[in-house]
Amino acid sequence: MMTRAFTRKAVAGALLAASALSFGMTASQPSPSEAQVAAPAPAAPLQIVAMRRISEAQYRNTIADIFGPDIRVAGRFEPIVRPAHELIASGASDAAISPTGIENFDAMARVIAAQVFDEKHRGQFVPCTPADAKAGDDACAKATLAPLGRYLFRRALSDSETAFYTQLAGEAAAKSGSFWKGLELSLAAMLVSPNYLYVIERAEADPANPGQMRLDNHTRATRLAMMLWNSGPNEALLKAAEEGRLTDQAQLDAVASRMVNSPRFEQGVRAFFADMLLFEKFDDLAKDPVVYPYFNQEVAAALPEQTLRTITDLLLTRNGDYRQLFTTNRTWMTRVLGPLYQVPVHRSAGWEPYDFKAGDDRAGILGQAGFLSIYSHSGRSSPTLRGRAIREVLMCQPVPNPPGNVNFTAVQDIHNKATPTARDRLQQHATDPTCSGCHRITDPVGLSLEKFDGIGAFRATENDTPISSAGTIDGVDFQGAEGLGKLLSESPATTQCVASRALEYAVGKPAEDSSVIEAMDKKFGASGYSIRSLFLTVATLPEAWRVKGATIPDNAKVSLTGTNLAGRAASKR
Amino acid sequence: MGFVVTEFIPPVIQEKTACPAGTVLKIRDQYLHDLPEAERARLSLKENEKELVTKWQTSVFGPNNTNICSQPDMFSRPEMRTVQSKFALGLHLDGGKDDSCEHDEFTTPDGQTGIDNQEYRVMGCTLEMRGTDGIKGDAAVGMRQFHASGEWTQVILLHGVDSLENDPDVEVIYANTPDRPTQDSMGNFLRGASFSISTKPPRERNVLHGRIVNGVLTTDTKDIKLVQTWGQGGARDLRGNRSKYDFRRGKMQLKFQSDGSVRGMVGGYKPVWDVIQSASIGGVGSALVAGIDCAQYLQTLRKYADGIKDPKTGKCTGVSSAMQLTAIPAFVNDIPAAPAIAQRSAK
Repeated sequence: MMTRAFTRKAVAGALLAASALSFGMTASQPSPSEAQVAAPAPAAPLQIVAMRRISEAQYRNTIADIFGPDIRVAGRFEPIVRPAHELIASGASDAAISPTGIENFDAMARVIAAQVFDEKHRGQFVPCTPADAKAGDDACAKATLAPLGRYLFRRALSDSETAFYTQLAGEAAAKSGSFWKGLELSLAAMLVSPNYLYVIERAEADPANPGQMRLDNHTRATRLAMMLWNSGPNEALLKAAEEGRLTDQAQLDAVASRMVNSPRFEQGVRAFFADMLLFEKFDDLAKDPVVYPYFNQEVAAALPEQTLRTITDLLLTRNGDYRQLFTTNRTWMTRVLGPLYQVPVHRSAGWEPYDFKAGDDRAGILGQAGFLSIYSHSGRSSPTLRGRAIREVLMCQPVPNPPGNVNFTAVQDIHNKATPTARDRLQQHATDPTCSGCHRITDPVGLSLEKFDGIGAFRATENDTPISSAGTIDGVDFQGAEGLGKLLSESPATTQCVASRALEYAVGKPAEDSSVIEAMDKKFGASGYSIRSLFLTVATLPEAWRVKGATIPDNAKVSLTGTNLAGRAASKR
Repeated sequence: MGFVVTEFIPPVIQEKTACPAGTVLKIRDQYLHDLPEAERARLSLKENEKELVTKWQTSVFGPNNTNICSQPDMFSRPEMRTVQSKFALGLHLDGGKDDSCEHDEFTTPDGQTGIDNQEYRVMGCTLEMRGTDGIKGDAAVGMRQFHASGEWTQVILLHGVDSLENDPDVEVIYANTPDRPTQDSMGNFLRGASFSISTKPPRERNVLHGRIVNGVLTTDTKDIKLVQTWGQGGARDLRGNRSKYDFRRGKMQLKFQSDGSVRGMVGGYKPVWDVIQSASIGGVGSALVAGIDCAQYLQTLRKYADGIKDPKTGKCTGVSSAMQLTAIPAFVNDIPAAPAIAQRSAK
């Protein structure tokens, strides 16, 4: 934990009842003196080439890493919109924050800052004793805020930034009569700064390729940390960036290798697969309690965790082959999920490994209730949604949206005795030529999972009619989740898909160069489809660190070490 | 083969001949009933309601702040209405043993004779057990909540079952689990949930031997103890303590159902005090709010006691009892075998 870097020193101080709001300014509304303090930083040969909003998990992880896991982060995060057929990581590159979103971030920032500088915690973060606890102390404030700002902004604060936040703390202390309240307000201001809420990627001239740009060291440190650990860079990474080691390929390789072999890589792998598998769908997952008595909120919360445990257990703990995700009979079980799967769970609390018997149709993540339930409707299964998800999510084969005037009557009439099973209903629906084109590529895949209902519980019949789990994909017939999983594990589309998603996840935009993906997939295969190897490839891929396109005109450049305001001030001049 | 108990209630046969005079009178009504006719008529007038309330409520108290439920032995009360029908559900418990006391036996509606259920005979006309006109009594409703809470939850684990029709040798673990059953939105327990048996106090684990004959599992006679937690309070120093279901010479009789569940009875002889324990723990509140005459119950129970004979006095101190039980399939984890105790070195 980074907090260990700080000197532990008990600092006595009185708690004041006055809130930061009473100062007459908010963290998101800087004091008028900011422009005056934030003098333009020395021009640096750097350009901002991308800004990516950090995710909720990255925000939480960063706060926990810097301030400790006992610092509570309470509030609502404005979601980052997922672009069609892309990752949320790509959406983050275009994500703005609404006024309401900023208000939420501001409220969260104040709660965090109040905890950091409360009597219980301040000793961990304040390396000095203020001359007067009832007044500002610039030296002590600076000594406190500059190191914290370095972790939050993922780079050292510029002189102007340091001066600004120090002055902010002093002014707030003077108005509140509390040195600690001053620190609180200043830290809260950092937490709503774009420098914290966004990963600001910067490029510099590439000496090895004259006329070209490459991402600078700090950007590399942040990208490595966010991609591999889903958090901000730690002290070692920041130091490596400050020493310029991350633009050296050999040293970059070594750092990335250490990171993918760290236990913290699991956090990154979880975040990646949650993004790739569209786990945000669990946030709104609702099922009809009359139709599905085995579904409840505890089940809904356990389902993504089960899939993520299956993934990390196979790919990290057992260093397994990615393709086995579609065939493995090993999963993880908890008491909450036992009834849904109708399997025994020995531990009263927590998770335990569970192996489905050989031949059980619960093979792979496609046979897990998590996948099956999010790609279903609230009261019925959906071979179409499941088939589409397999095509789009696991094989990266986009399926067009249905036209707006589709008549769904046939598929929704689930109690019609003439069409007792979903297969019957979809056959009738697919007679419409405007529908059949897409249904041909989704339904024969999804119908193989019909023995699992809308929450992923096993069923042999629907409306007292035996269910067939026959499926077809790309002209090959198979049976059930097991057959589908076997075919997916043998399909090059799945490994190329995860390779392209990994690259997209790292750079924040969909991969465009298919030759790069093919090369990555080849290397992925040579490693035995090791996820560590894949992410190491992405993290060290020279192409991923290059910046394409024309350089930004000088008059559009933004100071990279000053605040945005400072940048604007500079451009006005 | 495991089960979780979903229903554990006193078996009541809803029939008009059971309580021809009606359900057991509450204290207020009993007070009125015992008065001379003229006085009863006077106090029944609306304008005398306050006087009536004062008088019947005063009757539940004794000297030194005692009351009819906390110290039922101190009060002499008339016998309560008992079940008059010859039909009851239950088990044949006495089996010709000579440690029982003289009593009439019931017959089940399907013709089984020799049914011992004196608790039902005494308590079967109480409003709490019988309810009103087809509505289950408070006992049945309350029991379900207790079992859903994880406080009382019971599980059954069968070992050595080779046939659900006939098997002469079956081990039955009948125990409490601290695990709360998973329920659907209607409050029904879900099948296929997992539970762990715990012997950590106050929970119990009974190991019984039984046999299956024609699809009915019957255990040999053996004492059965199960968790039973009532409310707090009372003057018998039961505050904060936990009571037990204490079925002496108990047995289970369960029929395997086609849907995988089991239904039947568990019973034995209960100390008479245990029957009124809940009301007694409730203290004066049971008398004043629920109108329960604990002393009347206790005296009637003693009169009809048919088991747990005191070897010194020769009097029976317990009543035959049975609970109707339904259990659905569940995964039951038995406690692991106790670790071997390391042998102490001879040196």
